[in-house]
Amino acid sequence: MNAVDKLASMEDMISPGISACVGCNVELALRTCLKVLGPNTILAIPPGCMGGVGVVGWDMETGAKVPVFFPLLDNVASMLAGIKMHYEKVGRKVNVVAFAGDGASTDAGMQCLSGAAERGDKIIYICYDNEGYMNTGYQRSSATTKYSWTSTTPVSKEGRGGKKQNKKDFPMIMAMHDIPYVATCSPAFIPDMVAKVEKAMEASERGLAYLHIFNPCLTGWGIKPELSIEACRMSVETNFFPLYEVIDGKYIINKEFKNPKPVKEYIGYMKKFKHMNEDEIAEIQELVDSKWKRLKRLSTL
Amino acid sequence: MQKVEILNGNKAAAIGAAMSRPGVVAAYPITPQTPVVEYFSEFAANGEVDAAISEVESELTAMSVVTGASLAGSRTFTATASQGLALMYEPYFRASTLRLPIVMAIVNREMISPQSVWGGQQDSMSVRDAGWLQMYAEDNQEILDMIIQAFKIAEDKRVLLPINICYDGFYLSHMTERVLIPEQEKVDAFLGSYKPEHIILDPEKPMAVDPLTNGVLVMEYRNKHLKAQQNALTVLDEVDKEYGRLFGREYGGAVEEYRMEDAEYALVTTGSMSGAAKDAVDMQREKGIKAGLVRMRMIRPFPKDRVCKALSRVKSFGVVDRNVSFGWDTGIVYQEVKAALYDGDNKVPSVPIIGGLGGEDISVGMMMDSIDRVVKAAAEGKNSECIWLMNEEEAK
Amino acid sequence: MKYKSKHIVPIGTEGIHVLNTGDWRIQRPLIDQEKCIKCGICLLHCPVNSIKKTDGKFIITYDYCKGCGICAHECPKKAIILLPEEEK
Repeated sequence: MNAVDKLASMEDMISPGISACVGCNVELALRTCLKVLGPNTILAIPPGCMGGVGVVGWDMETGAKVPVFFPLLDNVASMLAGIKMHYEKVGRKVNVVAFAGDGASTDAGMQCLSGAAERGDKIIYICYDNEGYMNTGYQRSSATTKYSWTSTTPVSKEGRGGKKQNKKDFPMIMAMHDIPYVATCSPAFIPDMVAKVEKAMEASERGLAYLHIFNPCLTGWGIKPELSIEACRMSVETNFFPLYEVIDGKYIINKEFKNPKPVKEYIGYMKKFKHMNEDEIAEIQELVDSKWKRLKRLSTL
Repeated sequence: MQKVEILNGNKAAAIGAAMSRPGVVAAYPITPQTPVVEYFSEFAANGEVDAAISEVESELTAMSVVTGASLAGSRTFTATASQGLALMYEPYFRASTLRLPIVMAIVNREMISPQSVWGGQQDSMSVRDAGWLQMYAEDNQEILDMIIQAFKIAEDKRVLLPINICYDGFYLSHMTERVLIPEQEKVDAFLGSYKPEHIILDPEKPMAVDPLTNGVLVMEYRNKHLKAQQNALTVLDEVDKEYGRLFGREYGGAVEEYRMEDAEYALVTTGSMSGAAKDAVDMQREKGIKAGLVRMRMIRPFPKDRVCKALSRVKSFGVVDRNVSFGWDTGIVYQEVKAALYDGDNKVPSVPIIGGLGGEDISVGMMMDSIDRVVKAAAEGKNSECIWLMNEEEAK
Repeated sequence: MKYKSKHIVPIGTEGIHVLNTGDWRIQRPLIDQEKCIKCGICLLHCPVNSIKKTDGKFIITYDYCKGCGICAHECPKKAIILLPEEEK
């Protein structure tokens, strides 16, 4: 079955009405992943956008058709590890899944995630990377790209500023844990995402499976809603966010472009970069190029 | 037949936990608790326990793993001390507010700073308002018995709260004593198995756990939590008596009263220091002073009625605290005892006493001096200033 | 205290919380079935799962459609147009 027919026939496991921003591609990714994961899933949603928009529910109502809960911002992977340990002990197969922002994954929750990966806890960890703590007002995270305007790395009245440090290459960090499966995904490449969720489900029977989805944030970065998917596509087509997998240590590039578009085109989509000058844009281009080279090298191993 | 073994407090705790058959265990080593983790790992390696053990990378993870496992339906156990307890405070607080009957041993150790790895009760006393039940053991036999009873109390449907069994670092954890081991089949029958009905993460019974909640509901859940804590007093008495019938050891519930029937001057103590205190009481009695001891076994919930009744006929009392209450010029238990007495009619002079911090010994001599101070307070008719039990020789 | 919840813990067991996000719309997408080539790209990218496939045809449902315009923008044949949402 192709992805369209699959997704058309699978049940949406999330409440149909959540208060995510108009055009939010995190909402798209969440619904897509949960369709594939199915009803035999326990879902952890840490504090962040998806928690804030009602996926865990309000008061005495739930926000999903699967069991769903709020872990703490800093212990997502560990709580899931404990849950999975119980189900392994009683001999039941259950998908134990995190759908966590970059805040919970690359910052506050990194220790727990790293520990779970090293121990081989059999969970599926999906990180939605919108480069910041968006739900609380767009504060910077370690996943934020250099020069991004954020509320904690603002641009001065003279038009200079933005984040001073580079984006932490988190999928690579997870790959270096030698876990069975790591993959990067984009909401502009849904069939690719579906296949990767399926692979993650299988790999999580052997250890931690990690998916890193890149989600340009419409409200936080200043992107028009209808351009939501186009911005995602541009991030991949410029090699800013290449799509690749690491399967038992083997690096596989999923999409290679003969003539990748210049990063400037990607940067042009979002208000958070509009203060950047030519030198700064060139710096990002250089960074993207060197990381692509590294990935290419790794894929030959 | 109960087997006799020579055990240190940590091994007693590990055996008590192992006998209670937890499904998932996760603990991070920290002095003076480390042997608990090691013993438990050894039991598992030898096939003596069936628990799934997670080799966690910090206490934050340890409490998170057992919280997750408990939410999925497992009986769980963990252990920590001072800095580890502080590190896990975030998931620790919600273990009680999610009503998860986790049993955790706290091997009481002083809180840094200054740098200390030795005994002190500041760690567990500091978190007494995080919603857990809290009990303190006097000796290693009591540690083992309390751990087994802890599962029964915590999992009782009238309670459903996590529980801390606290014992003094090094004084109990590393000291060996003669301990009787209950029979496994009788412990199995006593505890049964844990089946949560109030909360679960299970695709066969989907629900949201901890959705965003309005203030009215928050107040309602807190109200129910406070009531459940009060229920623990009744449940403790029932469990204490049942354990006594099954295993021959009954401890008197939330409070142990030693020679209090006709006592005129009382000391209130918590934990291993009570041994020295009991000796001092006996020695004072030989001198004609009608001394007595009230030993706090349960600190949370605070057994105010029992304490009030126990001290209802004394002329004065003193409370020995192995901790400080920052903001009051006394220890913590002293303030709580005074608060309990406010409900009663016996407002008598009292003596706040602080000692044994950072692993310092509280000697029988110090306890004798403390009782003398209590007698003096009655004669002077007023509360004493805080007495600090310091070893003058070492201070030089 | 009169309790609203029969539970002792914060759990959501009284159904699914559904927000009427269809109310948010200021523009409404419409598929021109003649132009539609049945590629399904609109269904793949609708964030609110409001595009369904029935009997081989792609249909937009309006209960939760927020009017983001992604479907219209992504359609390779420009078969989806956006019209202003009618005043209520």
